[in-house]
Amino acid sequence: MNRLRRIVSLGILCLIFPSMGCAGFLDDLLAPPPPTKQEPASSQDGTAKESPDLIQGLGEAFGLKKKKIDLLKKGVGVVEALQPIGEEEEIVLGEAVAVEAFSRFGGEFPNQAWNRYLNLVGETIVEVSDRPTLDFHFAILNSQEQNAFAAPGGYIFITVGLLKSLNNEAELAGVLAHEVAHVTKQHMLETIRRGAVLGSVSEFTLAAMKKDPKMFSNVIDQMTDVLFTKGLDQEKEFEADVVGIEYAYRAGYHPQGLKDYLLTLAKAEGQAQSRFFTTHPSTRERIGKIDTVLNGYSDLQGLPFLTTRFRQYVKAG
Amino acid sequence: MTPFHRKTEPDHTGDHTWRLPIFLAMAALWLGILWSPSPSWAGTLFAKQDDVKVTADKAPTSTVVAILKLGDAVTVLSEEGRLAKVKTASGKTGWVFKFRLSEERPSSGSGLGLSGLTGRKTIAARESRAGGSIRGLKESTEQYAKEKQIKQEHRDAVDRMEAFSLPPDEFLEFKKAGHLGEFSGGAQ
Repeated sequence: MNRLRRIVSLGILCLIFPSMGCAGFLDDLLAPPPPTKQEPASSQDGTAKESPDLIQGLGEAFGLKKKKIDLLKKGVGVVEALQPIGEEEEIVLGEAVAVEAFSRFGGEFPNQAWNRYLNLVGETIVEVSDRPTLDFHFAILNSQEQNAFAAPGGYIFITVGLLKSLNNEAELAGVLAHEVAHVTKQHMLETIRRGAVLGSVSEFTLAAMKKDPKMFSNVIDQMTDVLFTKGLDQEKEFEADVVGIEYAYRAGYHPQGLKDYLLTLAKAEGQAQSRFFTTHPSTRERIGKIDTVLNGYSDLQGLPFLTTRFRQYVKAG
Repeated sequence: MTPFHRKTEPDHTGDHTWRLPIFLAMAALWLGILWSPSPSWAGTLFAKQDDVKVTADKAPTSTVVAILKLGDAVTVLSEEGRLAKVKTASGKTGWVFKFRLSEERPSSGSGLGLSGLTGRKTIAARESRAGGSIRGLKESTEQYAKEKQIKQEHRDAVDRMEAFSLPPDEFLEFKKAGHLGEFSGGAQ
C-alpha cells in the first residue's frame, strides 16, 4: 500500500507539473520496477526501444509489461487516427469537392449581381459564426432543383432553383447559416474520419494526400456521395439547424427564416423533384424541432426579414 | 487460505495488474490537461477575429477608441442587448458588438496532441497552387480534376469563387442598410 500511495502522490505531482512529466520527471523519481518485471531490451519489432515516448516511459515506470504498453500505444494510435483533420487539409478537400459541385449541378450561374448579393448575406453570417477567420466562399449553381450544401473548408453552394423559391433575405440567411454551421461543426470531416476510406489511416496530411492520389480521390468520392446522394446523419442536420438559427439571430436576421423556407418546401414535398428530400431529414420533423428552438429566444421582435431588399436583388434580377 | 488472508499478504506473486487501471486513470487526467481549452475568467472575453472595433458610444459609427486583434482580451464591464461595454488591455473603455467576442481564447492550432505521446510526427506543408501562381487551384485539385476529366469551366468557376472579395465599405453599408451585424437590434 505504501508503494501505491507513493505512486499516486508522484502521479499527482506529475499532473501539477506536466512539463516535468514530459521531460522524464517520472523516470527519475519513481523507483525502477523489480528486475523480474523488466522486459528484455530486444522486442519483437523493436519499435518500443527505438521510439521512446511518454507512454513508454510512464508504462515502464508503472511496471507495465511490454505487451500492455504496446497495446496502449496501439490504442492511442487508433484514437490519433480520429484526430480532427487540419484546416489546410480541410480546404484542399473542400476545393476538390467544389469542382465536383459545379460539374454535377449545371456549372456556375451566370449572374454577377445575384452572386454578389449571396456573398454579402453569407459574409454577414460568417462574421458572427464560430469560425470567422476561415475564408468562406459562396456560389450559385445553375440547377433548377432545390438544393444547398457545404463542402469542407467553407465552400457553400445554393442552386438557383432554391434561391428563386425563397421569399426574403431572412430565409436566404437561414439556409446559408445552416450550411455555414455544417462547416463550423466540421460535420463532413467528422463523417469521413470515421468512414471506410480514412478509418484505417493514421495520418491525413497534405503530404500524404500528394503521395497517395488514389486515397485522395477515394475521400472526395466518399464526400460527394454523402453530400449529393446519401446526406449527412440526421443528428448532424438537426445540429446544423440549431446552430444556423443562432448564427442568423446573431447576424441580426429574424431566425425564423429557415423554418419559413422549410414550410414552403414541405408544401412541395411529394411534388417537386429535389435531392434535398433525400439528403435531409423529414421536413415536418425539422420544423417541429426548430419551433422548440425558436421558443427559446425572447428578443426576436423587430428583427428583420428584409423582403423588399431580397426582391430588389433576386426577384428583379 | 481465505480471501482475507490473501489480501493482507505481501505481494510476492508478481501480479501487478492493479497498476494498469491507475496508469490509465492518470493518463486520462494527463490528456485532459493537455487538451483542455484555456481557462476563461469571468468577465473576460476575446476577439474572435482581427479588426474588432471598440467604439466610444453604443452607435457603431461613433468614434473608434480601439481596434482589437484576434485573441485580444477585454474585460466586460456590462452588457446591453447585443453590445458589451468593455475595457481593453491598454485601459480604454468602449462598446463592442458582442457576437464578435468569444468566451474562449482562439486557439493557435498548435499543441502536443497524441502524436507527441506516441513518438510519431506528422508532416504539415502548405499546399502550393498549381503552376506556382497566386491564382489557380491547388495541385491536388488540379490533379483530381484532370483524372476525373472535369471541364476547365468548372475548375475556373471554383477559381473565381475563391478570388471573389467584397470591399469593406460595401459590406459595412450592406449591414447598415439592413440593420444587421453591429447595426442590428436598434444600434445605428
